[in-house]
Amino acid sequence: MTIRPATAALVLFFAATLAFFSLSAPHFATATNFENLMSGFSFVAILAVGEAFPILVRGIDLSVGAIVGVVGMVVFDLTLVLHVPGYVILPVALAVGALAGALNGVLIVFLRLQPFIATLSTLAAYRGLTYSISGRQLVPGLTTTPIRDPWIVGIETYFDIGGWLGVSKFVTMPWFPLSFFIMLVVFAILQTAVLATRFGRDLYTVGGNYEAARLAGINTTRVIISAYAIAGFCAAITALIMVARFTTSTEALGTGMELTAIAAAVIGGVSLAGGIGSMFGPVVGAFLLGAVLLGLTLQGVPQFVQQIITGVILLAAVGYDRLLALRRQRRLALSLAEAT
Amino acid sequence: MPDPQPLVRGIGLTKVYGNLVALKDADFTVMPGEVRALIGSNGAGKSTLVKILTGAIAPTLGTVEIAGKAAPLGDPSEMIRRRVSCIYQHSNLAPAMSVLDNIFLGRQPTGKFGFVDRGRQRREALALLERHGIDLDLDATVSNLPTVKQKEVEIMKALALDAQVILMDEPTGWLAASEVTKLHATVRMLKARGVGIVYISHMLDEVFAVCDTMTIMRDGKVIAESAVADIDRPRVVHLMVGEKLARESERAAHQKRHPRGTGEIRLRARNLTKRGVFQGVSFDLYAGEILCLTGLIGSKRTELVRTLFGADRFDSGTLEVEGQPVTFGTPARAISHGIGFVPEDRHRDGLMLDMTMTENLAMAMLDRFRRGLILGRNRMVEAGRRAISSLSIQPPDGTRPVKLLSGGNQQKVLVGKWLNRSPRILILDEPTVGIDVGAKAEIYGILRRERELGAAVLVVSSDLDEVMTVADRIGVMVSGRLAALHDADAVRMDEIVREIGEAAA
Repeated sequence: MTIRPATAALVLFFAATLAFFSLSAPHFATATNFENLMSGFSFVAILAVGEAFPILVRGIDLSVGAIVGVVGMVVFDLTLVLHVPGYVILPVALAVGALAGALNGVLIVFLRLQPFIATLSTLAAYRGLTYSISGRQLVPGLTTTPIRDPWIVGIETYFDIGGWLGVSKFVTMPWFPLSFFIMLVVFAILQTAVLATRFGRDLYTVGGNYEAARLAGINTTRVIISAYAIAGFCAAITALIMVARFTTSTEALGTGMELTAIAAAVIGGVSLAGGIGSMFGPVVGAFLLGAVLLGLTLQGVPQFVQQIITGVILLAAVGYDRLLALRRQRRLALSLAEAT
Repeated sequence: MPDPQPLVRGIGLTKVYGNLVALKDADFTVMPGEVRALIGSNGAGKSTLVKILTGAIAPTLGTVEIAGKAAPLGDPSEMIRRRVSCIYQHSNLAPAMSVLDNIFLGRQPTGKFGFVDRGRQRREALALLERHGIDLDLDATVSNLPTVKQKEVEIMKALALDAQVILMDEPTGWLAASEVTKLHATVRMLKARGVGIVYISHMLDEVFAVCDTMTIMRDGKVIAESAVADIDRPRVVHLMVGEKLARESERAAHQKRHPRGTGEIRLRARNLTKRGVFQGVSFDLYAGEILCLTGLIGSKRTELVRTLFGADRFDSGTLEVEGQPVTFGTPARAISHGIGFVPEDRHRDGLMLDMTMTENLAMAMLDRFRRGLILGRNRMVEAGRRAISSLSIQPPDGTRPVKLLSGGNQQKVLVGKWLNRSPRILILDEPTVGIDVGAKAEIYGILRRERELGAAVLVVSSDLDEVMTVADRIGVMVSGRLAALHDADAVRMDEIVREIGEAAA
């Protein structure tokens, strides 16, 4: 696997962003701030990695934020209302997320809906479902009761890696949140899956040229449904991490997060035209967005200006990718001219 | 034949699209070690037959037997499992993936847990390349390769399947002469191993060079089967074209042609070049003539006429319209110079399918119906009614959405939208693809009428019968060059066929 110029540029840009804020924003280059970055954006990175799958098969999933909401509420209900033990809740929560995602895939494949429309519908439906199953409405007293199940809140654990390694004597190291390692594991598994397995190759083929995939005998139905199921599964992991952090859930959990996930994936070089990109980009993209937000906040830039800057970064990333594609096309045309 | 059992046998295959019958009760067999040519003009049903045999579509009626057993239809993976593979006319590669991945598209050898066995994949691919003497960089990304190399990847993909039957749909369309020879050597080698090959080509030279038998199709029907040794070229052309069209083109040949029309040059191209696409194209288009540009798919005719219409730009050379040098940056500028353009893909580039006939007919001249900021609805409807009756569009109902019309009538709407403007130059790209014989004749009538009215008409067509029927002059494009320009009276169809084919070889 060669490193694409776009990926290299992204990493450079990320490093430059970190350097810029380290020099210009007060308290940016501190252990606390990096801890905030890791604990506040690892779950965003997981969501972005999941979102990359529908985009790779030339679709989109607008419902991942709503799936976060559904899964969060399922966890809330099972712990606080039904008192189900945490080790049962974890697999149930993941299954709910994967199923909600798979349903998107089913709608897209069997009802032949546009992915945008299908997932816009389920975005609304899943959010509505969150409200209708909400234990907060059923037992209003629970809204102030924190979740205490060790299996759930245990996700919000920090490791003093610097201390273990003895580095802390020389420099203050951030404590690493468990969510950061969960993110690394999810990334490693899915990156391996897309790059080195048959499923991954089929995924790229379906996204790159659907008809060619179908004619090559690839089970396109299974590939597409799996892609959306993975997005839902990742959303469930995100929901668990968020619930563990907040020790509760609300009906609004995850609202609007699909846009951040899509932005991170696209900034990370996953092409909306399908079939291009890997899992590395979305992870860097998520932390890049995080670093920018934290940096601007520390600089005292108002929040709405932060949103404008986020938009500009998104445009720049897409524009850069487009530029590379155009340059590639021109080179190809020229090489063809020489051949004839 | 060593084995009397056919590898593939299609029985009574019929395919209906809406009200177009693409394939009618066709029977088809391929024996082991047989190279069977499948020939016919555009729209004869060859591609439909091929798609049924590869499982890309299911026939409306009929069955396919593979090695004597009925095969499930409309499922490509079932056909691949029965070792039937196809090299399609259009690219079927995943552009962002490597050559290696594309060769094994959908069938990467896997080890434990679905991990792709990269070592084995590479070994098999290298062995394959060596066996067939093809030179490819396995790690190159397909979208970075020139078209010729992409075609080779496609061929390797079919060969990697170890297919018993290989369908080749215009396999040499993009290949240079030496590569055609190489491909034919490969075909002969496969044949020697008992593989059955279906060879679809417009180029009769190739058919006579490499095929054993041929199936000739016309209007969706199989009309003749023969051993190549038992038939000669004029007979093949005659069968392809058919009695009726042959007579018609005979009659057309006798009707008065108007090469160079009124003698007034409407459009003059000199050394028109778009790098990597077309080079040094020079010609004049006269008022009152129909100039047909023919050639193979991929000979860049469409790209050329899109440039004339300002939809694409050119790099060098000059373009003059009625003596004025022009460089259209947009189609709007071309339209203001009196140029009309009917694109090849009417669904994608031409029509608003969900809008009514009246709205589609008015689309290119809304400025004429404008009163201040408001469109004059009544005048639009009135103009629509006139166009519908003069083009005899069926049914004559201007409020009907265009998607409910037959292909032929849709095409008339598309042509009609320019006619009220009385275009000085009318450019049509494959104006009769996918429409039936009757509608074709009507379109030809419309083109001739415009010519009599003094328009300069430029038609891109791959259908040689059509070219011989309507053209006053004929231009042959080969790989982005205008290879020849004839007065239609002074040239025979087989000469054109030779120029199209030979120049590529």
